[in-house]
Amino acid sequence: MNPPPLTPATACTELTAHPTAATVQGDFLSLQSGRPFGGAEASFHGPTHRAVGESSWQPTSATTVLGFRYADGVLMAGDRRATSGNLVMFERADKVLEIDGSSLMAIAGSPAVAWEMARTLRHAFQFFRRTQLQVMSLDGKVRALSRLLRENLGLAMQGVGMVAPLFAAHDSVRAESRLYFYDALGAEFESVDFAGSGSGSIGVRGILQYEDRWASKLNERPRGSAIQLAVRALESAAEMDTATGGANLRKRIFPTVKLLTARGIETVPEEELQAVLEEAP
Amino acid sequence: MTEEPHRWVEAVANRREYIETQLAGGSPIVAISAARGILLLTYGRDRQKLFEIYDRIAMGGIGHPGDLERLRLSAIEMASQEGFTRSPADVSLQRLALFALSPALKSAFEQIFSPPYLARLLFAEVGAEQEADVFIALDYDGSVAASGLPPHRPSRHFAVLAGSVPAREAMRTFLSERAGSALDEATALALALEAWAIGRMTTETAEPPELALVHERFTELTTDLQPEAAWLDRQLLAEPPLPFSAYRAFTEAGNAWPQWAGASL
Repeated sequence: MNPPPLTPATACTELTAHPTAATVQGDFLSLQSGRPFGGAEASFHGPTHRAVGESSWQPTSATTVLGFRYADGVLMAGDRRATSGNLVMFERADKVLEIDGSSLMAIAGSPAVAWEMARTLRHAFQFFRRTQLQVMSLDGKVRALSRLLRENLGLAMQGVGMVAPLFAAHDSVRAESRLYFYDALGAEFESVDFAGSGSGSIGVRGILQYEDRWASKLNERPRGSAIQLAVRALESAAEMDTATGGANLRKRIFPTVKLLTARGIETVPEEELQAVLEEAP
Repeated sequence: MTEEPHRWVEAVANRREYIETQLAGGSPIVAISAARGILLLTYGRDRQKLFEIYDRIAMGGIGHPGDLERLRLSAIEMASQEGFTRSPADVSLQRLALFALSPALKSAFEQIFSPPYLARLLFAEVGAEQEADVFIALDYDGSVAASGLPPHRPSRHFAVLAGSVPAREAMRTFLSERAGSALDEATALALALEAWAIGRMTTETAEPPELALVHERFTELTTDLQPEAAWLDRQLLAEPPLPFSAYRAFTEAGNAWPQWAGASL
């Protein structure tokens, strides 16, 4: 008589739908088994719906976010406006999001999808750290966002869920903060000096290029001067782009400015932004 | 064999004896509630024995490293799934330990043709105030020793895990007379070290040894062992940063480390 097969005690597989053995070690996404990012209807930005393959397809993202390397690390800033077509839906949207203590993401595009991506990344990085007992490497983090963008390609091609984010993280090996930008398909590019995304970014990139070339190197600027440049560039973008919100001192709406350095992430307080705005001639 | 009930009972009893023997040498683990949060402390040889499970939940374990690892991963997976699909506020130690892990441990233990978990687990969940701290100890057969759960609140302010029953009882007797609300950090640390040593010294009787003897023998007890400690920091709950975790590995004891305890963290 054959003995009954010895099966290992399988609490893991009993307790969760996805056995650990079948997933990549420490991978939170595989636990989610193909969960889509956000609802397609939840887009604030009301882009034009076009069929896939139509040649005139244009991604829309009504926003301005920017990032550049300054003396201490990376600065990331964004306006606060969320629009749907011609409507202003929300004037206090946060587009520069903290993913963990040493990485930042600035979003342009469909906020529903982008915020869900940020939330997924937060959980994924925490999950990796808790299960693997080590912090995810910089390359791992950069690729994780790339993968989310790639998985979102279907929605992006339908014109409802496009996201083109900026990502910055501190590299503990090289002891410097690094800045990346992505296209909607998930290709990542490391930016040596500055990057912008969203409808107002064309003007902003012009300003940053000009300042870097003819005024002083961005990556040598101290904190105060970097903040001043970011606020001024966003203000210019708001002047030229209907979908980018400017600062509003009466309603106390200020752009978001965050600094990523070796010490962690600092959110520039409103009072400091107000002082920068008020010193305009 | 399973067709005969008495044979099954015998097999389970054998299995219990086997597991108890395997776990008997395990280094005790102490969790104490203090004003700052929950302090977890143990001594180990080479492996990490205290782990972060979720935002407010930590785990310590005695047993086979492979089994501890599987249980730890299961706990993190379940907590993370729930925290992602609903909200981190919906993750509770009660649900995690009592509704998921305990039944799984029980069925693994009683399925006599498959190996059981050689593991004993201690979980702690830090609350906004000390009265809301929850402690749950799970044994290899799924049995539960809990403190701080409704409707039996308030919490006893401590929990222990040890390789043997006498050791566990001695630690409990010692701590139930001393643990309480609003302990400061140094007192909590000293109590945890004393309770650990008492657990280590006790093999037969359930009467805790004299404190003077505990202090005297402490360095001898910790030969070749390294201290490991962590806080579940209550102070972080007031203004939780994002992403949040109250777990802080305790690396710097400073002046709080008692003289008699020898080498510090």
